[in-house]
Amino acid sequence: MTRAILRRVGAGVLVLWAAATAAYLALLAAPGDTVDAIIGDGADSPLIRSQIIQEWHLDRPAVVQYVDFLARAVQGDLGRSYLLQRPVAEVIGGQLGPTLQLAATAAGFGIVLALVLAVVARRPWVRRLSSTTELVLVSTPPFLIGIVLLSLFSFRLGWFPVSGAQGAAALVLPAITMGLPIAGTLAQVLRDGLDRALDEPFAVTARARGLRESAVLVRHALKHALLPTVTMLGWSFGVLIGGTVIIEQVFGRPGLGQVTVQAVNASDLPVVLAVVILAAAVFVVVNTLTDLAYLVIDPRLRRS
Amino acid sequence: MRRIRVTVASLVATSLLVLAGCSAESSGSAADAGKPVSGGSLTWAVETEPITFNPHLYAQAKARLLVWNSFEALLTHDDKGGYLPWLATGYEVSADGKTYTFTLRTGVTFSDGTTFDAAAVKANVDQLRADGYAPAVAAVQLKNLATVEAKDASTVVFHLTEPDVLILDFLSSPQGAQVSPASLKAAKNLKAGGPELAGTGPFILDSYTPGQQVHFKKNPAYDWAPANAGHTGPAYLDEITYRFLKESSVRVGALTSGQVQVIEGVPATDESLISASPNLSLQRGLNSGSAYSYYFNTAHAPFDDVRVRQAFREALDVPAVLDGVYRTTATRAWSVIGPTSPFYDKTLEGTYSGDAATANTLLDAAGWATKDPEGFRTKDGKRLTVRLVQSAPFVRDRRDVLAQAIQAAVKQSAGIDLQVQLVDQGTATKALADGEYEVFDNSRADTDAGAALNLLLYSTGAINRTGVKNPDLDKLLDDAVATTDVAKRTATYRALQKLVITDQALVFPLYAPQDQIAAAKTVGGVGFEPTAGVPGSAYRLWLSK
Repeated sequence: MTRAILRRVGAGVLVLWAAATAAYLALLAAPGDTVDAIIGDGADSPLIRSQIIQEWHLDRPAVVQYVDFLARAVQGDLGRSYLLQRPVAEVIGGQLGPTLQLAATAAGFGIVLALVLAVVARRPWVRRLSSTTELVLVSTPPFLIGIVLLSLFSFRLGWFPVSGAQGAAALVLPAITMGLPIAGTLAQVLRDGLDRALDEPFAVTARARGLRESAVLVRHALKHALLPTVTMLGWSFGVLIGGTVIIEQVFGRPGLGQVTVQAVNASDLPVVLAVVILAAAVFVVVNTLTDLAYLVIDPRLRRS
Repeated sequence: MRRIRVTVASLVATSLLVLAGCSAESSGSAADAGKPVSGGSLTWAVETEPITFNPHLYAQAKARLLVWNSFEALLTHDDKGGYLPWLATGYEVSADGKTYTFTLRTGVTFSDGTTFDAAAVKANVDQLRADGYAPAVAAVQLKNLATVEAKDASTVVFHLTEPDVLILDFLSSPQGAQVSPASLKAAKNLKAGGPELAGTGPFILDSYTPGQQVHFKKNPAYDWAPANAGHTGPAYLDEITYRFLKESSVRVGALTSGQVQVIEGVPATDESLISASPNLSLQRGLNSGSAYSYYFNTAHAPFDDVRVRQAFREALDVPAVLDGVYRTTATRAWSVIGPTSPFYDKTLEGTYSGDAATANTLLDAAGWATKDPEGFRTKDGKRLTVRLVQSAPFVRDRRDVLAQAIQAAVKQSAGIDLQVQLVDQGTATKALADGEYEVFDNSRADTDAGAALNLLLYSTGAINRTGVKNPDLDKLLDDAVATTDVAKRTATYRALQKLVITDQALVFPLYAPQDQIAAAKTVGGVGFEPTAGVPGSAYRLWLSK
């Protein structure tokens, strides 16, 4: 047991290191250097350049800077943002909350809606309607959903504020925007799983015992259908984190997405690296949780 | 990312237009804001979240309206190219133009309680020249500054190495704004600014939520507004919140639905939504500085030949492409200097451009007489290709779309192959450093156009992308900053514009950058800062009850 946990943690650290290194190399290979990025489209002269190099210690070889970055990162020091002139931990820390809040709410909304759609909409014509709607939701770009929701519920009806993270009301529209496509995907997977489970011999047995169809569905088939759904959910967390980039822009919400776009555009190396490490960490955690969830859901997996 | 954003914008615009079309509710009678009243809190949606709130490191014209809420400078621009007293009550210039003596206003305190005096001014300049703090300010605005001397509590003397009237422009600029020396020392994130830095302004920045908003509250002790500020004493508003809403259509939607009272940055495509409402008003202001222009790289072929440069300008029907991209909202530029500057030479208007026949004659004469199968002109088997490299993060006003329109126009009228490359900042910088470009595009929002020209046209200028090294041009630039006499400066800059625009055709001015403000009619005092032409601070604003 301990060995299994250690192996898991070791693999996680390796993933973090690989992600950070890949991001570092990618930024290194990008055209132009850090000094160019800091200067931007402003005045450029040898004196200005030398001051920037001196300030950020950019005269050291890339390898030394990389090792220095790793050594600091291990101690929890992610450096300072070139662009924003504040500690990276502060830049990211302040924006992490709103993003996680949004992602979690959207995921929660998506899961509930998917369950309702897959379990309740069983009649053939309702199924077809629901399935078509889901496909439309999955194929619609989230920003379009966001704009339509905003225009209707914020600009026209005034039910929800457009911007900021002011309490629960401001969270509703962005969470629905991000949750709808997830609900669409999950409902499709869940319904497919339910259909297959209901064809299994155990479903026939359960019906033979006199159980009502709804009880067969909820008590027996749903558990079977959950396994692929949980896998999808783990995957969709990545989509959620990526989706915040556009959603936050449309809704004027604070969050990691905006910070990331700004940092990538400006080649703000310390911030980009921190975001990459953080995203990798979230993935490691979510994947571990997914694996654990398999064990909880399916007793057969516990035995092996 | 660019591509997605453009699509977002157009989809947003379309869906909003559709919804606006559905809405048929009648709005009440247009109420005017009436006479100024004190009190109230206002929310203003802005496009740009400032990179820094430290005025010394100010670099975004879009952030200027925030700076003057909490910080102030020694002087301020009037609307005629001169200066008005602000934190300084006046100044004297020595006969050789190298010594500027300022008398300071007394009884002014920073919002942290520190007294404003000559020592504070000196402390600010010392900080600006500190290693690694503000290299661009030290190397550009303060390049001719020798020493600053606090003669007595209310007299400060700037000693220059060369006559440089732009020191006055610097002392009226955000970078020259006065920050409490105590907070300069104490601030943990000095270069990021924020609530830690204290100024003397009519508002106090008391909270900043990154990605969301910045909030200012009234400074009740304020009593030193400049003469052109519209009123005296404390500000009218009790508090003002600036929300950062990057999507223009979301800003417009927030305004039309009453969630914010003022917005800035209204693209041409959204103007109809504002003008459709009787409760909203729209204003446009032209920015100061240099016009948005194409600069021809004269370091190599084909633009080393003045005839090809002239031909490019003649090949383009500027009003046609501007109307195509910006509808009728853009103001055409005729000079490298923006049309609102006192130095602008109006006689240049209509003297060149838009004559395809002349363009073709000039190109024939320059040796680009043959055409390849695709219709592009060639010379010795080489196509007449010119490259424009745009750095995506810095593209605004849909300048990438404008470039595409120009590309199509010059191909059709004169067989010029303009290649537009929209790239990341690193690639753009590298292309510029290696000289791998023929056209460079730029506009600058400097309040004194001379500051922009020094960077763009001086032989050693930090943004000299034309590669021009002309001693006559350098002398004109030097002469124009050696005197405080506006008439003399105007005459010098007129000679310079003739040289650069008419004789040498180094620059192709396209349009004068502008800002837009849309506001509910219950908001009074909405307007633009004199000279700079960007939205003004919140000091003049009031909210009718």
